Amino acid sequence: MSLQHYLVISSILFTLGIFAVLTRKNAISILMGIELILNSCNLNFVAFSRFVKPSENIVGAGAYVLDGQIIAIFGIVLAAAEAAVFLAIILAIYREFGSIRPDEVDTLKG
Amino acid sequence: MVVPLISIILLAPLAAFAIFALFGLAKRSFPRQDILSTAAMLVALGCSLYLLTEVVPKPDPYTVEWISLGSVTFSMGFYLDSVTVIMLIVVTLVSSLVHIFSIGYMHGDPRYPRFFAFLSLFSFSMLFLVVSDNLLGIYIGWELVGLCSYLLIGFWFEKDSAANACKKAFLTTRVGDVGMFIGMMMLFKKFETLSLHGTNGIFTLIADPAKFTGDTSDIVWLSGAGVLIFCGAVGKSAQVPLHTWLPDAMEGPTPVSALIHAATMVAAGVYLTARMFPILTPSSSLVIAYVGGITAIVAATIAIVRFDIKRVLAYSTVSQLGFMMLALGAGSYVAGLFHLTTHAFFKALLFLGSGSVIHAFHAMHAHHDEEHAEGNQHEHDDHGLVHEHGSEIPPDQDMRNMGGLRRKMPWTFGTMLIATLSISGVPFIFSGFWSKDKILAGVLGRAMEWNSVHHYILFAVALVAAGITAFYMFRLIFMTFFGEPRNQEMHNMAHESPWVMTVPLVILAILSFPVVNTIWFNKDYIKPPDQHHVQAPQHADISPNNKTGKVDFGFSIFGISEAHAAEDESENADDAHHGHGPAHTIAMVLSIIVAGLGILLSWLFYHKRRFSAESVATTFRPVYTLFWNKYYFDEFYNGVLVALTVWKSRLFAKFDLSIIDGIVNGVATVTRAVFAAFIGFFDNRVIDGIVNRVAKVIWSVGGRIRRIQTGAIQTYLFVVLGGIVLIILIFRVL
Repeated sequence: MSLQHYLVISSILFTLGIFAVLTRKNAISILMGIELILNSCNLNFVAFSRFVKPSENIVGAGAYVLDGQIIAIFGIVLAAAEAAVFLAIILAIYREFGSIRPDEVDTLKG
Repeated sequence: MVVPLISIILLAPLAAFAIFALFGLAKRSFPRQDILSTAAMLVALGCSLYLLTEVVPKPDPYTVEWISLGSVTFSMGFYLDSVTVIMLIVVTLVSSLVHIFSIGYMHGDPRYPRFFAFLSLFSFSMLFLVVSDNLLGIYIGWELVGLCSYLLIGFWFEKDSAANACKKAFLTTRVGDVGMFIGMMMLFKKFETLSLHGTNGIFTLIADPAKFTGDTSDIVWLSGAGVLIFCGAVGKSAQVPLHTWLPDAMEGPTPVSALIHAATMVAAGVYLTARMFPILTPSSSLVIAYVGGITAIVAATIAIVRFDIKRVLAYSTVSQLGFMMLALGAGSYVAGLFHLTTHAFFKALLFLGSGSVIHAFHAMHAHHDEEHAEGNQHEHDDHGLVHEHGSEIPPDQDMRNMGGLRRKMPWTFGTMLIATLSISGVPFIFSGFWSKDKILAGVLGRAMEWNSVHHYILFAVALVAAGITAFYMFRLIFMTFFGEPRNQEMHNMAHESPWVMTVPLVILAILSFPVVNTIWFNKDYIKPPDQHHVQAPQHADISPNNKTGKVDFGFSIFGISEAHAAEDESENADDAHHGHGPAHTIAMVLSIIVAGLGILLSWLFYHKRRFSAESVATTFRPVYTLFWNKYYFDEFYNGVLVALTVWKSRLFAKFDLSIIDGIVNGVATVTRAVFAAFIGFFDNRVIDGIVNRVAKVIWSVGGRIRRIQTGAIQTYLFVVLGGIVLIILIFRVL
């Protein structure tokens, strides 16, 4: 398993996420797409952290660097918080408009 | 010691007024304004009396610089000599008594406190005028006096007649004041100062040949200034032809009349003339003497036929003021001022006495209205009588309603009788005799001294006026206090006045005896000022030997030949100056005779009824009509001056309405039709067109562009994604 495999998987996930965000007619599905995008990013962080060794001049000989993993954990926490905020917004939108279809919420239409 | 005393004298009445004003700002009145004002006046009186002992009659002005304009400095200050002190005493004394009298007379008036405040201000103004050492200060006091007389004459401004009278007084005196101001400016032009006394004062400069050469043009200038300043006195002291305001001023409350006639307003004119004595030239003196003489006789003849008790007294005041002016014009400085003081006392007494009579009838008057139905018949008769003569006399002032009051009002009667004896010139024990005699003697003395026809004529006029004075004053006494009551109903209601009113009467009656006026005979105390330009030329410049050059000094509009007078002078030079000896005796005898004659005639006409006044009036119908109509002065002023002014105003109004307004309206029309129309068109079409077109273009463009904003969030996201891809591609290519 090399870095390329991870990057391919990550790209597929990212593309699926974008596709979901742009095309789904349900806000919950859009949230799901966003989660996919976030997770593809996390996968990239971890993969790069695992396969790319930083220069010894910077970190010292034989040292392990876990930066990517830590950022991935941050990303998961972020996704959870973002999901909570997003769902609250969706609830508010539902109360206001009686729907959660994003194409029906177009008050800012010019 | 002198300056603080004068300050107290001035500030006490002013403070009384200021307190009224301060309380007035708080929309309340000081609870006992009457007591306050009276006390202030009494303090001033006390200080004045103290000054009498304090002052040595060698005066210096006490001055401070007031305004500096370039090289000219106006100073303000006090000048105190014996005359000033006597005037202070007269003013404060009469004013105090009037204050006390008013406590009774004005009792219950709705504007009671205001009356006393005005009296205080009036007294302050007069005192300020009296002590000022320069013309500017005198002028300020002068105008303040005018203002206060306006306020007080119009005190009962609800009455139309009072409102008109106060306007008339203000405007008439203003006519004279304009002349006075021009005269002041003429003096200022010549001497560059308005101070009168002291080293740089006008009176010093006038005697200095370096400053004032005394040639003809200077003398003409000085005469003009003197006559013009005298114009102010003509207005204030009610001399013919500006006397008409004074009888109308009777509309004010009677104490005000007493104050105006005795101590303040009219005395100001005489005092000013006396103050300006040193600058009077022979010709301006003669003008003054003639105005005074004419006033004396005209006013006396008018007074004969009046029935309103206050009008009789008013015209008598005018007449007596004429006497004073005559004296000053004839060079009898002391006589004029002496008569001013004696007159102040007995005229104040007469007015307060008449006020007492009116007050007695006043209470009745209120009662009368209640019992209107009962008294209807009688009132009808009165009014018929009054209307017959075409004049509105208030019934409580009409002497035809009086008579027999001497038993009802013994105090009033007694004191008024003393005043009448005094004004009539009953010899030896009354002050009026001495002062009037001094005037007559002065005029006759000047006539004999200068051998001047003018002064002989004036002497005769004054003598006749003195006789008439005795006649009409006793007519007043007989009609008011003697005989049978003509109006029984009014008579029944009449009563003696309360003590606050009778006490001032008694005090004034005491002052009408010569005892207290003897100060005027003290030649050490009172020295008349020099009239350099009356006497010096006679002694020095003009003599029979000097026929060249300055003989023409005596510029005289009436053509007195000064040279002639001087020749005469040289003949009896020894007794010329003090030589009133024979003149004095002649004048005294003649004045006693005319006074006796006047009283006798009055007694025969109005007490014994030996002759009927009505039949005499019928016999001399034209003369009577002339007197009754007051020589048509008012008619003349109304018919000519007022009508002219109104006509002129109408003319100007028409001019304004047609021509000025026409121009303005024409310009407006042209502007509107031509300029405004063009500019309006330009604005509407061009400017608005540009603005609207720009707006329309922007509007339509915006309408198209806004379609981009779909409001759908996924569209935006798509665009964002496309943008990112585009940027990446661009970076890849680069």
